[in-house]
Amino acid sequence: MTPSAGRTSWPVLAVIVVVAALAPLVFTEFFLSVILTKSLWLGIAAASLIFLSAYGGMVSLAQVGIYGIAGMTFANLVEADGGSAAAWSPWLAVVAAIVITVVVGLGFGAIAARSVGIYFLMITLAFSVLVYYFFSQVTQLSGFGGVNNVDLPALVGNPGQDPTPLYYTTLVVAVLVFVGLRYVSRTPFGLALQGLRDEPARMRALGFNVTLHRILAFGLAAFVAAIAGVLSVWYNSRITPGSINLAQTIDVLIIAVIGGLYRLEGAWVGALTYALLDNYSREWTPRVGDALGPERFNTILGLVFLVIVILSPGGLVGLWEKARERLDTRRRGPPGGVAAGPPAGAAADAAN
Amino acid sequence: MLALIGATLALGLVTACGDDDDDGGSASTEKSGGGTIKVGFLSDCEGAFGSFFEPTASGFNQALIDKAGAKPASKKPSEGVTGATVAGKKIEVVGYGCADDTADKAIEETRRLVEQEGADVLVGPLSGDEGIAVANYAKEHPDKTFINGIAGAQDSTLKVQAPNFYRYHPDGAQWSAGLGDYAYNDLGWKKAAIIGDDYSFPYTSLAGFVAEYCAIGGDITKRIWAPLGEKDYSSFISQIPDDVDGLYVGIGGSGLINFVKQYRQQKGELDTKRMMGNVFWDDPLVLKEVGNSLIGGTTAAMTAGDSDDPEVTGYLQRLEDSYGKEIAGLGPSVFTYGYYTAAQALIKGLEEAEGDVSDQKALQDALANVTLSGDEAPYGDVKLDDNRQAISNIFVKRIVKDKTGDGVPDVETFRRIPDVDQTFGGFFSADSPAPDRTNPKCEKRDPPAWVGEAEEVSFGQ
Repeated sequence: MTPSAGRTSWPVLAVIVVVAALAPLVFTEFFLSVILTKSLWLGIAAASLIFLSAYGGMVSLAQVGIYGIAGMTFANLVEADGGSAAAWSPWLAVVAAIVITVVVGLGFGAIAARSVGIYFLMITLAFSVLVYYFFSQVTQLSGFGGVNNVDLPALVGNPGQDPTPLYYTTLVVAVLVFVGLRYVSRTPFGLALQGLRDEPARMRALGFNVTLHRILAFGLAAFVAAIAGVLSVWYNSRITPGSINLAQTIDVLIIAVIGGLYRLEGAWVGALTYALLDNYSREWTPRVGDALGPERFNTILGLVFLVIVILSPGGLVGLWEKARERLDTRRRGPPGGVAAGPPAGAAADAAN
Repeated sequence: MLALIGATLALGLVTACGDDDDDGGSASTEKSGGGTIKVGFLSDCEGAFGSFFEPTASGFNQALIDKAGAKPASKKPSEGVTGATVAGKKIEVVGYGCADDTADKAIEETRRLVEQEGADVLVGPLSGDEGIAVANYAKEHPDKTFINGIAGAQDSTLKVQAPNFYRYHPDGAQWSAGLGDYAYNDLGWKKAAIIGDDYSFPYTSLAGFVAEYCAIGGDITKRIWAPLGEKDYSSFISQIPDDVDGLYVGIGGSGLINFVKQYRQQKGELDTKRMMGNVFWDDPLVLKEVGNSLIGGTTAAMTAGDSDDPEVTGYLQRLEDSYGKEIAGLGPSVFTYGYYTAAQALIKGLEEAEGDVSDQKALQDALANVTLSGDEAPYGDVKLDDNRQAISNIFVKRIVKDKTGDGVPDVETFRRIPDVDQTFGGFFSADSPAPDRTNPKCEKRDPPAWVGEAEEVSFGQ
């Protein structure tokens, strides 16, 4: 499966964005915040992982550590309970957080880019763990019980009272990230990245600096992860070392795998699926003796993960593409749009 | 591709609409039924304290069983209770929320219970950082009421001061009251080291020790911190200095079991005459696993496992009747007991407010004045201070050889420290630095009022 096959077209994206923009009219504040806003920023974090994986062939576990650096930097630079509470303007803090994170990301990249496969995975995992321990032990930065009541820009207001502004902000940023990463994948830089994903030796022979390319890709992914980190602090209005622990690292990987490691869209599909499961399985999980019950909701998440990995290595997005290929070969023309509603018609248009 | 996202969104829509219907449905029953009081329960079923999920639920349920006419739905506490009513209104437990000792998850669960399930009152959470986060959340939601479960961080009441957040048990620092006095004046520790997990609860319980021990004249020469969730304490054990008179251990949950085992491997048997521990030392789960190594050690908390007070035996008997021996065995654990007193206070507050949760003002005013005594707080009377934080007594205990014949070491309570307040006689305040790796500083000053006022007690003699 190649990432360039079957791109989501502009009209399709436009429809999705319009549907998403209407969400605040339809959903409760709780759903808007805890499911949709969270999916959007988690999706951005997962997109940084998927970008590296799909175009660069690098599955990085460092993304949570990297967004943790951005989140902690932001939380420390603005007014807050705990941390250094430097009381900068939130926008200045955003810029500083992203710049610092990208610099650290490039540094991580310089170390990790020379390794591949399992070694790359291990080195990036070590980065995340390193960041977690750094912040859990340097309490001057992570505060007593985390950095709480973080000052947010006026743009997003108080998400605890009215989640809509933050939702729209996150939506716009997510769309920009998606479009931006997709654009990058078509630039000479992106094409070369895909080239050295598939044939690093040949690319080197052609005169490309493979390592530098990888480092830059890692830096770009760090930029995207930094955005997710800042948004995560806006969403929680707090950050604690627990926000960026190993469990969170695994969750972001699970999101990427559920959605599909080969397509950027998978990031948000995976994040939405994860957020829905994580929230609702706590009530829905049936009780089966001592083996299963609402307190064992993680079992459900694990089973879904297992089923998806077995059925479709390309995640949910891969599953859909497989189904569409089958339909396309069986009969030409638009696939049955009844079940999926109007968007399916648009998808068919896009496919033709 | 689009169809997939469309379908996912559609799924979300269906889910959300389903929720709306649910909420709408319950809201209408609420109106027609003359009022149901919705209570959310929040504890940890994952993370370092995951094993305390059922015990905390049992304490919470038992209060409803005792005072609200509820019946346990099954022998598994988290399956809930049926038929709870207070002041003529039905009490519905809208969910047994499960967090994982991180603040983010605790808030997501709080939001689920309060915003999605519509809880009027939340009882919880369990651990330190979660408590601070929930207290901050409470501040932003004055139309809801929050009663702390057993999260012991000082800040949640001392600093956050949310007017609708109540804590009917002593905080982590209060639990250490009496130990500094005992270490300095009875055991003769002039110099001590402390070791603890690196997060807010141990900071707080060690702060209680430091505040008292140093005030009398003791000196702390080293503070060692291990990350929460650490499995391998060996590198921290090797940092314990040899030239101190004693060691205060603030390691909790499953960590303490690992710590004791590794300490034995590295340094031999624990010299318990030179050791004290925080509230986890006499937790029944810990005693069962490594209690034999802790015999002789001193600890303190708001409960006394050996108490033969009729109120205590009654409380344990009722727990056993509801949930069997195993869960009742954890009745003296602060986890079970914290949630028990929280729910007792809630019921008393609701009775006082005549079940009126419409604007919660009546309930919140009532809760601020609730005092617990007798079977409501079998281990000692509770009243609240101006920050809605409990003032209560603390027991100083020592771990002794098995007396009951169950193979598990027992606890012998020997002192009761009366009226322990959160500020340690003004030492802690909203302006004092939060307890952390280096604070509070070790300074000689006027000791808290209870130093020298301890009552010697002896149960079962």
